Amino acid sequence: MADHSCVYEHDVVAVVLSHRWDRANDELKQHAADCEVCRDVVAVARLLSADQEHARYEVHVPAAGQVWWRAAVRARLEAAHAVDRPLTWLHGIAGACAVGVACAAIGMAWPSLREMASWFTFEAFGADSRMADVAAFVTAAMQRSLPLAFVVAACLVLAPVALYFALTDD
Amino acid sequence: MRECVLTDMERAGAFEDAERTFQMTEEAFRVFYEQTARPVWVYLARTTGDDRLADDLLQETYYRFLRARTAFDSDDHRRHYLFRIATNLVRDQWRRARTDAVDLGEAAEVPETSEDNDRALGRIDLTRALEQLKPRERSLLWLAYAQGFSHEEIASQLGLRTGSLKALLFRARRRLISVLGDRYRSGGRRG
Repeated sequence: MADHSCVYEHDVVAVVLSHRWDRANDELKQHAADCEVCRDVVAVARLLSADQEHARYEVHVPAAGQVWWRAAVRARLEAAHAVDRPLTWLHGIAGACAVGVACAAIGMAWPSLREMASWFTFEAFGADSRMADVAAFVTAAMQRSLPLAFVVAACLVLAPVALYFALTDD
Repeated sequence: MRECVLTDMERAGAFEDAERTFQMTEEAFRVFYEQTARPVWVYLARTTGDDRLADDLLQETYYRFLRARTAFDSDDHRRHYLFRIATNLVRDQWRRARTDAVDLGEAAEVPETSEDNDRALGRIDLTRALEQLKPRERSLLWLAYAQGFSHEEIASQLGLRTGSLKALLFRARRRLISVLGDRYRSGGRRG
């Protein structure tokens, strides 16, 4: 570890960064000449501090007012988004509730719908054997298609909700 | 940042909100910014090797600084915290493995005098040399030898132990010198 650093390193850097290296005391200069670590430190610190000094005068940074204004606008936008976030969650929860209610309603109404369909086919096409066959097929299909009906209902409700989330800004 | 159009009233509201949200007043910020913006920008530019990215990161650094909920006991503490934010942003950039080419446009301008010429060449050499170092080495060197932070301060900024930092700093220093060549060893200038 002794080879990696020197106890005088920070002193040497402080003198170089304050642009006083040429006027530094002889003891420190002699040490830097003899110590491999400090010799490198002087070389690197002079190079980097000269680059920084040059940049101090030549680099164009945005005005303080501009940085402040941008930060203020961004803070305001973020605050507005923070307010919107619970509403977005509320919309999602409302959508999920609507899906649940739709599924429950279809489930509850399904037996009545089936009976109504049977009654209608019997009353309307009872005499006609061909039509009765068709009606019986439709009724049977309706009995088997309950899961499909659930899926269709769910899609009808979920599609707008998904669209809403897809198109909403973050 | 998303583009937006604000009315004067909204703009005024934004400033009022900012005064409440930010940890310092606009006047205090102006003073602090004038003192620190250039060193921070140079640090960002030299460690990322990208001037435009440095512009963006500068804005982000000050935004995060203004939103910070930290009590500062001195200007040094404030400055140290600002560089810590900048270092974290640079580290995020390394993680994203963004390796844009170094913009030598400004440094490569044709200088007017031989002294300017020498300096400009020195800057190009330095920029190219830094480009060949690892991003962490650039950060270490800059914080230690351009900003003059202590080993302990740098270690805390980079999440390293002081012992490891000394070894890393030593290696970074040697690498920079070997990349630049021996002419920089004597006094840190082109000979």
